[in-house]
Amino acid sequence: MTIPYHNQHTFLVTGGTGFLGSHVAMSLLSRGHQVLVLARGRNGRTAPQRMDRILDWFGLRKEQRLGLKVLQGDLNEPGLGLGAQDAGIVAGEAYEIVHCASDTSFSSRKREQVEKTNVLGLENLLNVIHKSKCRGFHLISTAYVAGRRSGLCAEGFDQAVEFHNVYEETKFRAEGIISEYCTQNSLNLHVYRPSIVYGNSSTGKTTLFNALYFPIRTLHFFQKLYARDILEFGGKKAREMGVRLDNDGVLHLPLRIQSSDECGLNLIPVNHFVEAFMAIRQGCPEGGVFHIVNPQRTTINRLADYTQRFFKLDGIRIAEPEEFVKQPRNGLEILFNNHIRYYSPYMQDKRIFENFRTSAILAGKNIACPEFSYPVFAICMDYALETDWGRLL
Amino acid sequence: MFSEQARKTAGQCRHYAMCKIDYLGNGLCPSGEKNHYVSHFPQGRMDIYHALCRGLVPISRGLVEIADSCDLCGICDKQCHFVTGMRPVEVMRALKAHVRDWLDQGNQPVFAGFDLDLEELRRIVGQKWASNDPAILLTYADDPFPLAGMRTPRYVVLPRTRKEVAALVRFANDRNLPYVVRGNGGSVFGFVFSDGLIMDMNRMKGIEIDPENWTARVEPGVTSFELQKEAVRHGLRANTAEPAATVCGNIVCTGLFSTWSNAYGVNADTFVDMEFIDSQGNFFRLNDPGTINAFCFEHKMKPSPGICTLAHVRLHPTSEDEEGLMVPFEDFEEAVVFARELSKRRIGLAVGVLGGHYLSTFMSPSADLADKVRFGLTNALGLRYVVFMIGDRYACEAVRSMHEFVIDSKLFRMLMLGLPRMGDDEWLDLVSGMQTDQPPYAILLSPEMHSLLEAVLRPSPQTAALAVDEDLQGFYEKLYARPEMTDMVWLNMFRIISARMSRRKHMFAFLVYVPLNRVEVTEQICTELGRIADKYGIEHDYGFLTPLDLGKRAILEYDYYIDHQDSLEKEKIRKAQQEFEPYLDNLSARTKGVKWLKYLFSQGCARKEAFLYT
Repeated sequence: MTIPYHNQHTFLVTGGTGFLGSHVAMSLLSRGHQVLVLARGRNGRTAPQRMDRILDWFGLRKEQRLGLKVLQGDLNEPGLGLGAQDAGIVAGEAYEIVHCASDTSFSSRKREQVEKTNVLGLENLLNVIHKSKCRGFHLISTAYVAGRRSGLCAEGFDQAVEFHNVYEETKFRAEGIISEYCTQNSLNLHVYRPSIVYGNSSTGKTTLFNALYFPIRTLHFFQKLYARDILEFGGKKAREMGVRLDNDGVLHLPLRIQSSDECGLNLIPVNHFVEAFMAIRQGCPEGGVFHIVNPQRTTINRLADYTQRFFKLDGIRIAEPEEFVKQPRNGLEILFNNHIRYYSPYMQDKRIFENFRTSAILAGKNIACPEFSYPVFAICMDYALETDWGRLL
Repeated sequence: MFSEQARKTAGQCRHYAMCKIDYLGNGLCPSGEKNHYVSHFPQGRMDIYHALCRGLVPISRGLVEIADSCDLCGICDKQCHFVTGMRPVEVMRALKAHVRDWLDQGNQPVFAGFDLDLEELRRIVGQKWASNDPAILLTYADDPFPLAGMRTPRYVVLPRTRKEVAALVRFANDRNLPYVVRGNGGSVFGFVFSDGLIMDMNRMKGIEIDPENWTARVEPGVTSFELQKEAVRHGLRANTAEPAATVCGNIVCTGLFSTWSNAYGVNADTFVDMEFIDSQGNFFRLNDPGTINAFCFEHKMKPSPGICTLAHVRLHPTSEDEEGLMVPFEDFEEAVVFARELSKRRIGLAVGVLGGHYLSTFMSPSADLADKVRFGLTNALGLRYVVFMIGDRYACEAVRSMHEFVIDSKLFRMLMLGLPRMGDDEWLDLVSGMQTDQPPYAILLSPEMHSLLEAVLRPSPQTAALAVDEDLQGFYEKLYARPEMTDMVWLNMFRIISARMSRRKHMFAFLVYVPLNRVEVTEQICTELGRIADKYGIEHDYGFLTPLDLGKRAILEYDYYIDHQDSLEKEKIRKAQQEFEPYLDNLSARTKGVKWLKYLFSQGCARKEAFLYT
């Protein structure tokens, strides 16, 4: 069955205060849709207060917010932690579900928490919508459900393989659960599989500073730490690490990154993700699986160059694994490595994400993924610094 | 006019009596040192000011003298701030000002009145050492224990000798006057109050070390801190309780226990003999043949064997290669199993399992920093529990071979002196953002990271002092420049930082002996006490656990925190008592190895075998 799309539909967006969820909710609202957002209260703020802050951040006008209703709940709770009235609203009004809520931790130490959100959370959601009028389900997944494989990764449901981390594994399991559910209940299912998402390529704006940002933030922290050591404390600690400040103001930070220049990261800006999401939803109402990826990968070498150029650093270089056997990592490299270690499968990525279906839809609407160029990098870093890596948001 | 701020501060005195020992090496309150009454120490003046504000005490001759005897030297500000974060000098100043204004208005202080019994008491102990002045009596009438009310005695006396104590007992018996003995006035359980006579042992401070036998004979006014200091001077160590608590009082009340109890034992393990005065005023020793059997244990509330006038306690040898180590864990059960393993294998002397709450509070010079650091330690570093161990180099080598990640004395010093920067938001964000299969502490505390950690923390006495008020920073800088202030061995021997646990609020401690081989029993106790506290809106947290008797048993502390001046909080704990008391009573009666410390009160001389294995 194909859902006829019109603006009277009410969407339920989970994770509406999160990075992708808020962008999707914002986009739906600005197009005049009715949107129910499921969100938690946190840090002394209720879910509606949190959502208000997010929409302020987007600059969404008050009249565009009229279609919004925020439901305070928790995906991890049975019944989504909703009261009877809110549960009734979901059952009676939600026509399409956009499931964005997700735990993006990779660490196996956090397996329980990640499973709880990504798998049990989905099951909680399905229990609530089971008797609702919902006719369509949009799952925000990840291209990396492909797991440990090389070559072409099909734009469709595939067999289970080994996974690099618990995030990939649980997102794969979630796809399986929702696929079975939608088949049994005759619901349309769209599965969106973005690669690594960063901020807006035009404005640099983002609400999340993980993934691409964290390693760069670590380098920036080192830069400030050792520049201060040199300028204020005589530079003893900097010398211990071979760090020096050159006359031109460039900080020499000798740091090796284990990688190779053959592969790189598949990065897409959040504005492209949202555009693609909207285009696919409209352009392919019958549903399916869609890889939202960048046809061009960004090598680590290029990222290191961008970083050095932007932050006035040098000494950062790519090194082969054997080099770390001969010369073990120092403290800086250990800390840095711990910020990129889980991304190493994505840094060494040789997988090719098939995206015929997605690109056909996007091409028809003249949507192309922006290149991750230095100006885009710089605008993203300007925003990161302006917001102190999100701490001032 | 009363100062509202001073009144609030005065009401928050925790009665830990830390102002009665020179634990920072910056001297003692001169007035207290000279006059010995609690009323002449900052603790007493805090109580007096608080009582004055509430109209509970008249301005008596004694009160005027107490106020005048304070020279505002400021010692108490430093002492009290170190453990509670409070600044008592403003209270001392407010008290002096209030009394002076009142006198300037032409008022005459109240005279307590002539009393024949008082004269008789003075004949026994000397003119200066017995009083019925209401201001003095007031400082012996209450403590922060939330489940007891005020009881004002008729007299307070400070005997100097055992014979005087015996004479006081006979005096009280002759007049049918109830009496209680008080050690250092560091009372927090509401036990040491009487309508009759209070004997304050503060003048009985004799310590006699027997280096050949590794023992010490201590009089009842000797505090743990003072005994430890003397023992250390002879190259020995005592198993001591809270630094301001008296050794005799502690043994008689609950029995001695500390993290050193892992090796040195508890209760009857800690002494060679004890001298008492019975209810008729006769002396006896526990080792006398035919005397009462204080080594047995009965599962009921019992009176103490008498008034302890001398404890002959065991001391222990030390070695120069002793070091403190902390082994971090994310999981409570893993930490307990590790601590038990150390105890079972006789590795180390002092052993304990501490939570992030204790660790951060002990290490931090201020409450705000402690909160920040706790988040940093537990959430960012994943360091939720540590097994703390002090041992010689062989023990330390053994621990290092048993566990990959260890915080040694050098790293501990770095963390302690760099603590204000440990709570830096940017640093914590960075650490929290690591996605690792190992707990973050395993990476950040590795030797390769030390140079980077030093660059981040910039550990120094100056850095440590950043955590306190600006006018105290100079003092703290000098304090933290002293090696013992960051030495785990010294800190654990003298225990001067443990009173910091009551910095935010009064601590209501549950102490329970538990079977260490059944971790689930300990976890269940913590869960249940936590559940009850949550139900009544009481702050609570795990305290510590120390293995005993080769890992077979342990002593567990779980704490509730309440504002003892807040009647609502008192009501909460009163309601909670309806649940925690039967729970712990039943558990103590029915579960092997479980014994709530309540049943040990006044049976502190009992052999541990008599209550741990029933």
